[in-house]
Amino acid sequence: MSDSDLPAWSEPFVGDRRSSLLRSRPLGDLDRAAVFDGADGAGVTVAIIDSGVERDHPAVGGKLVRSVVIEFDEDDEPTVRPDSEAIDVVGHGTACAGIIHGLAPAADLVSVRVLGPDNKGKGQIFAAGLEWAIAEGATVANLSLSSRSEAMFPVFHDLADRAYFTNCLLVSAANNVQGASYPSLFASVVSVAAHDVADPWTWFYNPAPPVEFGAYGVDVEVAWKGGGHAVATGNSFAAPHIAGLAALIRGRYPEATPFEVKTILAATANQPG
Amino acid sequence: MSPARRPADRLDADALELLRSIARRGSIARRLEDGAERAVLRSIVEATVALFDAEASSIALFDPGRNQLVFEVAAGEQGQGVIGLAIAPDQGIAGYVFTTGQPLALSEVERDARFGRGAAEATGYVPRSLVAVPLIDDSGSLGVLEVLDKRSSAAFSLRDIELASVFARQATVAIRASRVERDMASLLQGTLAALASPGGTTDPPSAATPATVARIVELATRDLDGDDEGRLWAIVDRVARLRQADPGELDLLAEILEVVARRAERRASQRRRSGRARGVE
Repeated sequence: MSDSDLPAWSEPFVGDRRSSLLRSRPLGDLDRAAVFDGADGAGVTVAIIDSGVERDHPAVGGKLVRSVVIEFDEDDEPTVRPDSEAIDVVGHGTACAGIIHGLAPAADLVSVRVLGPDNKGKGQIFAAGLEWAIAEGATVANLSLSSRSEAMFPVFHDLADRAYFTNCLLVSAANNVQGASYPSLFASVVSVAAHDVADPWTWFYNPAPPVEFGAYGVDVEVAWKGGGHAVATGNSFAAPHIAGLAALIRGRYPEATPFEVKTILAATANQPG
Repeated sequence: MSPARRPADRLDADALELLRSIARRGSIARRLEDGAERAVLRSIVEATVALFDAEASSIALFDPGRNQLVFEVAAGEQGQGVIGLAIAPDQGIAGYVFTTGQPLALSEVERDARFGRGAAEATGYVPRSLVAVPLIDDSGSLGVLEVLDKRSSAAFSLRDIELASVFARQATVAIRASRVERDMASLLQGTLAALASPGGTTDPPSAATPATVARIVELATRDLDGDDEGRLWAIVDRVARLRQADPGELDLLAEILEVVARRAERRASQRRRSGRARGVE
């Protein structure tokens, strides 16, 4: 089997293949220290659109300020209800929250649980959760999931534009399965795949989209359900690293637009080699 | 309002012949298909176990009727206990991967106090590490392929996820193909129902009464099991039974078929030659 058979969004970010990312940057190298030293994400709200976040998990540091779940009502319309227990039905959302909190300890976290129990409607549930997060003024939204439904294309396209124009940065895990997936492949979204350098402060910029950033996503020590931990691999653990960095940038420059945050992330990315 | 025309009046001979041929193919596919999907899936998990040198591999498929993910096939020394296990489609690793379409790998999962232990313990095997990838195509998610515990390593790599995804794609293609065959009969039924409805094909199938549909199905399939087809059905049934055959028997069969086919080809070419010769005369 040849490498070209593999669905490999992570490929440019792994091992020797990273050398293909080497380039001369239009803005040169921005001083990382000037951007990140002392930044802690204060004043920033990060929405985690996922399986829920366990409020009491030590890795979340008490920063979960709100928790909602999206469900279908009796008319099959997606509705938002508060999740007073603030649970995580899988552990995945708590893993993402822990990564974000580890990088941006002062950022507020909001959990939007969107794992609909019904396969058929999950795209709608997901879209409703994203719409809610944008409307509620999230600064950054972490999406470690995406939809492949063609029918949802215009819905997510509209939401991605709405997020961009209301200054909410969408950070999405690249979907490692071949074929289109939304909104991870939209231009305004920060699409992230995993690299294998065991360091949350190492990230790469890929000048050949759709997947523009590589972040730590292999053998990541993450928080998990029930106060537990696990070691996890996948693009969905890379995305929250970039979401955490974006939260730090927005904490330092509260007026920065998604375009500017992306530019700063690219200009402060590690040069391969 | 004029009474609805009798459905049979609206089907000309060509249409009936087309329906007959669809029904014939559907019937053959149905006879051949029984158990084929499961056999393909089993071969995929067996190949997965061999490739990864894993303790177990399994495929769970979404059952819309039960709204559950059901583990259909498994391979490997530690795999068998999971067969038949049903879980909610938004619970646990398999549920997450199914619902989000995001593949992932986890290790040291036993450190997690509550993670899926109930389900994992019900299978008699709690993995140290696993990779789970979705069975997904443009029509949506069908299920999840899981691989548990590589013997050579404590964890699965990014490349393992990608490789497992290739196997998952094979499984997805196989399932879609066999479901198309299996759905042929219901497709035929639905098409006929639409044709039979007074408003034509734009009405929902429910517009036709069961009696009209039954009448059209009977018209379209009347000759299928007649004497003309008897020999064909006998062959179809025997081919279907060959799934039980061992490799030696299959080799023998291949040789017999080869002899028969060569003989048929020889005779056909003799007929063509003699035909041409007559044409020259």
